[in-house]
Amino acid sequence: MVGLSEGEKQFLRGGIEHNLRADGRTRHQFRPISVQTAVIPQANGSARVRLGATEVIASIKAELGKPTVLHPDKGKVSIFVDCSPTAAPIYEGKGGEELSMELSVALERCLLGGKSGAGAAIDLSSLVLVEGKVCWDLYIDALVVSSDGNLLDSLAAAIKAALSNTGLPKVNVVLGASPEEQPEVDVSDEEFLQFDTSAVPVIVTLTKVGKHYIVDATSEEESQMSSAVSVSVNRNGQICGLTKRGGAGLDPSVIYDMVSVAKYVSQQFISVLDSEIAAAEASEE
Amino acid sequence: MRDLHLSLNQTQRVRLQAALDQLESDASSTAAAAASVTVADTIPVNHEDNILKGHGTSDLDGQVVATLCGVVERVNKLVYVRALRSRYKPEVGDIIVGRVIEVAPKRWRLEINFSQDAVLMLSSMNLPDGIQRRRTAVDELNMRSIFIENDVICAEVRGFQNDGSLHLQARSQKYGKLEKGQLLTVPPYLVKRRKQHFHHLEQYDVDLILGCNGFVWVGQHVDTTAKESTLLSDEPSGKEETDNAVPVETRRNICRIANAIRLLSVIGLTLSVESVTETVEESVRANVEINEMLGAEFYVQTVEREAQRRASLVRKRR
Repeated sequence: MVGLSEGEKQFLRGGIEHNLRADGRTRHQFRPISVQTAVIPQANGSARVRLGATEVIASIKAELGKPTVLHPDKGKVSIFVDCSPTAAPIYEGKGGEELSMELSVALERCLLGGKSGAGAAIDLSSLVLVEGKVCWDLYIDALVVSSDGNLLDSLAAAIKAALSNTGLPKVNVVLGASPEEQPEVDVSDEEFLQFDTSAVPVIVTLTKVGKHYIVDATSEEESQMSSAVSVSVNRNGQICGLTKRGGAGLDPSVIYDMVSVAKYVSQQFISVLDSEIAAAEASEE
Repeated sequence: MRDLHLSLNQTQRVRLQAALDQLESDASSTAAAAASVTVADTIPVNHEDNILKGHGTSDLDGQVVATLCGVVERVNKLVYVRALRSRYKPEVGDIIVGRVIEVAPKRWRLEINFSQDAVLMLSSMNLPDGIQRRRTAVDELNMRSIFIENDVICAEVRGFQNDGSLHLQARSQKYGKLEKGQLLTVPPYLVKRRKQHFHHLEQYDVDLILGCNGFVWVGQHVDTTAKESTLLSDEPSGKEETDNAVPVETRRNICRIANAIRLLSVIGLTLSVESVTETVEESVRANVEINEMLGAEFYVQTVEREAQRRASLVRKRR
């Protein structure tokens, strides 16, 4: 990321104060979003999302596994984000590890709920095939190809699109004679069960620059931020997760205000994203 | 500027394809198309003359073969291939916009979208008090008060150093630090060398500087005659923040012009002050919101307009 001169920084901050950012957007407008699904044919589901110049790819692979002893009636989902060196030279080798960890944890918090699986956006009970013995393990992998700010929002949108593209093969389970034996599984190649993504939330990141918050910051605007709050909202307007980044402290009333702004903005974003996903699925057929 | 990926609906895709086809057919009817070559194409050459094989050509089995994709140029006995898309090729006298990346002893190093960094010597820069004198050690210690890291500067190419890097000079009042605006990066081959690179768009109160290296500056108009008086009375920048805020109307114009430049660079059309102002006027006429200028509809409209303009030019020529 190249630096900005003092004059450019003042111009940026002044623009945000006057509700007119560098590319003409208001404080609460997203950049145009473009979605492509089924970009990775070997995966069970995949999607590529472009938000302005930010580009991310998410893929979902499903494998059969054994549920944990603590939660025998739930399947397992793990999310992992990788920042590719093509996004920025500093991500080469171990450079991108910190950012990747931060993004993975934030996404898991927003999409997977608590340790017991309560409040998860993805219904983990639907992943179980034989209680205590066989379940689906979903591995969600996301790759940041190009970074121009607002990675968390685009990653969440890509995961939502990839989930709607996911087809889990139908499995015939034959229980063994004794309860100790492993059941035999027959994975069908033909039939697929689509995922229900109506409960999957989107993430809206509000970046505070000066006295105002902006939605969908570019990397130049992010370099001027004092703090950022990422709110995960689902279609019913309920908050599914909250993450705060940045060093500056925030007054609680400010957080309340940010959350209400995020709720309002997210409704529009969800409808735009849903229509884009539907268009992508239709064009892919 | 990275590519815009637009979600075009079916009608927009059809219209875009029709406009692009028309542009291609117009292009192929001109003479330039006949001289365009791709890699490994043979260049038609009269073998009796002693032809000098220039850049982008190679001798293969007695044939002159192109090693680049571009247009064949012939100058007397020299035959070379000029690439259409290439890195910035500097020439003496070019106006460029650059960003300071290092303050070094007696010089500033600037990044200018070239293979090497350019150098601006302290002696090639006007001193704040405007007096012409020998630079002393005190001047060298106060270099930071003139330019600091990450400043955006407009300068002119003075010459080349031995290793190929550029020497710049910023002696005139119109060169120097650029503030109150935004810097855009476009592919350098879209900015052709013209007589004028500094444009003051009066109706918008905006300065537009088309740097030959692909850095384009769009900012509030700065009166260069008033510049000298402000340099003499150097005030701390904190006070200036509230005094010199950019008014909202100018800001809107700056955003509109910047979006027009982004759009033209994505389509691949040559940037000139006429094409930029025409795009801005068209967007105002069509009541397009500033941020919608980067949307699918205006993109398709701009391509269609360019196709019509070229078609009418071709017709006029006939």
